[in-house]
Amino acid sequence: MRIELLYYPECPSHERALELIREALASEGVSAEVNVVRIDTQEQAETHRFIGSPTIRVNGRELQPQPHLPYRLTCRTFQHEDGRLSPLPSLTMLREAIRNTEGG
Amino acid sequence: MEIGHSAYDFNLPGVDGKTYSLKDFADKPVLVLFFWCNHCPYVKAYEDRVIALANEFGDRVAFVAINSNDPTQYPEDSFENMQKHAEAKGYPFPYLFDETQAVARAYNASRTPEFFVFDEERDLKYHGRFDDNWEYPDQVRHEYVRDAIVSLLQNDVPHVSQVPPIGCTIKWKH
Repeated sequence: MRIELLYYPECPSHERALELIREALASEGVSAEVNVVRIDTQEQAETHRFIGSPTIRVNGRELQPQPHLPYRLTCRTFQHEDGRLSPLPSLTMLREAIRNTEGG
Repeated sequence: MEIGHSAYDFNLPGVDGKTYSLKDFADKPVLVLFFWCNHCPYVKAYEDRVIALANEFGDRVAFVAINSNDPTQYPEDSFENMQKHAEAKGYPFPYLFDETQAVARAYNASRTPEFFVFDEERDLKYHGRFDDNWEYPDQVRHEYVRDAIVSLLQNDVPHVSQVPPIGCTIKWKH
């Protein structure tokens, strides 16, 4: 399994995002390296199709894609299962993404 | 802006069609001025808490939200979208557009959300984040802005005067 975490350092959520990914992997009993990619410039954002920090991809599939948004340097919003808007995905969302990829 | 510094005046358009400056809030003994926007997830995480606090203290405390982001890069933060969002959420406070970004620069603001709480003389008494847990409202232990308001309404000094703001960076024009 390939997991990518792309982050913009001015957005303070990336360390917690990495913790959540590792927690989700452990909960699902999956061993995988997390490829952490730092995005500093608009050019890099466009190259990496980065709409905000953190962007998380499991086997290339983006968690909660938002194709209407431009590539840019900012924090991104995730909508949790309970409707709450957050700078981070929920553990449940991450576990499901890992489980679905592992099973599929 | 250092603690104790006087509030800078401004003259900014609000989403309600009015133009606001400090004198419009002179009847309230406490002023909570905060840098805000539409797109930032930290703002979204705090939005309901800020609205609740403004509704709770609105008769004695002036709450003023200011968006200084460059809408050419972040179209969600355009004046038109500010108007739509404020109406949809029922903001109980003025939501102002700092198009030139001069107000954000004067206050040396860097994040959204970022809070400045002023006393009756409009001297800065608290600066920083709203509380100590953006992620889980039910696990908040320190409500910095609320505590500052309560202290000032009791003519007391807030126990905590500064906590670094957490959120998105203000999106400056190039």
